[in-house]
Amino acid sequence: MKLLSEIELDALTEVFNVGAGRAALSLSEIVSEEVLLSVPSIEILKAAEVNDRVLTLKDNKFATVSQLFTGPFDAEAVLLFTENYALEIVRDMMGSQMSIEDLAEFEQEAMCELGNIILNACLSAMADMLNISLSSSLPTYAMSSPEEIAARLAEQGNDDSYILVLHVDLVLEKHHTEGHLIFLLSSTSLSKLISHIQQYLNNIL
Amino acid sequence: MPPNITPKKVLIVDDSKVSRMVIKAHILAAHADWQIQEAASGNEALVMLDADPPDYCTMDINMPGMLGTDAAEIILAKYPALRVVIFSANIQEAVQSRAQQLGALFVAKPVTEKSIAQAIGHFTGAA
Repeated sequence: MKLLSEIELDALTEVFNVGAGRAALSLSEIVSEEVLLSVPSIEILKAAEVNDRVLTLKDNKFATVSQLFTGPFDAEAVLLFTENYALEIVRDMMGSQMSIEDLAEFEQEAMCELGNIILNACLSAMADMLNISLSSSLPTYAMSSPEEIAARLAEQGNDDSYILVLHVDLVLEKHHTEGHLIFLLSSTSLSKLISHIQQYLNNIL
Repeated sequence: MPPNITPKKVLIVDDSKVSRMVIKAHILAAHADWQIQEAASGNEALVMLDADPPDYCTMDINMPGMLGTDAAEIILAKYPALRVVIFSANIQEAVQSRAQQLGALFVAKPVTEKSIAQAIGHFTGAA
């Protein structure tokens, strides 16, 4: 199944790359260390094929923050951190001397805010490049396993629909951990995104 | 530009074909006589550079294989007179200062007419 031409796929990767760069900048300012970015991966799959293998997540439990972006097309954006690390990020963000126990109380709210900052940094850069406007829902926070994440994402479409999966790793060397940034688009949104990518290409080339 | 000056050669290094096309189009719009070479990775750039060294080079960072900043470091150690502009979506302070330490100009992606003008300014500016 070839939904995007090679050049469209290339342009989409580049747009996502710029978004991921903005997200990494925001995260690096919060945790005060450089965030290493992987080369983004892009896959177009049937909804039924989205499983934990596709998400290439190695750890058992993730703190996930999800947000729905709506506009000319809809996308679900998910930021994931390994469970243990989420609290450390919250501590970095609050910049306080609070104990991990005390911070646990703020975890949910703080992670939602962190997700909101990072996901919006990424999506707004992409929207600017594509010359569109996207609005975001309130972030939701959950602790989930890769299986649970995949199952929830696969629910987005029926078995025949396609899902675009954009994935980039955010590696925090000093903290010996990594986060993930994942975007999903349903087939309806995918075709609308393709037309915006085509307009983008027409404008720049 | 006086006609007796040899046209400059630019090597564009980026894994994104779209980015290479945009950079190339903008450079040629400003300097129609410049010769453009393209490489899709740092490793490919190093091979091409030894075969036919350019005057200028634009370098992406986040590419499969070698990081663009690592490639730029090797290039500048070998060809100190070559002018390098690093184009990157990764705009963190640590990345920008690494580019500066190497003696390259850092320019934030996306590639636009404005960012290309900055790059050309670095290429043709006084040392």
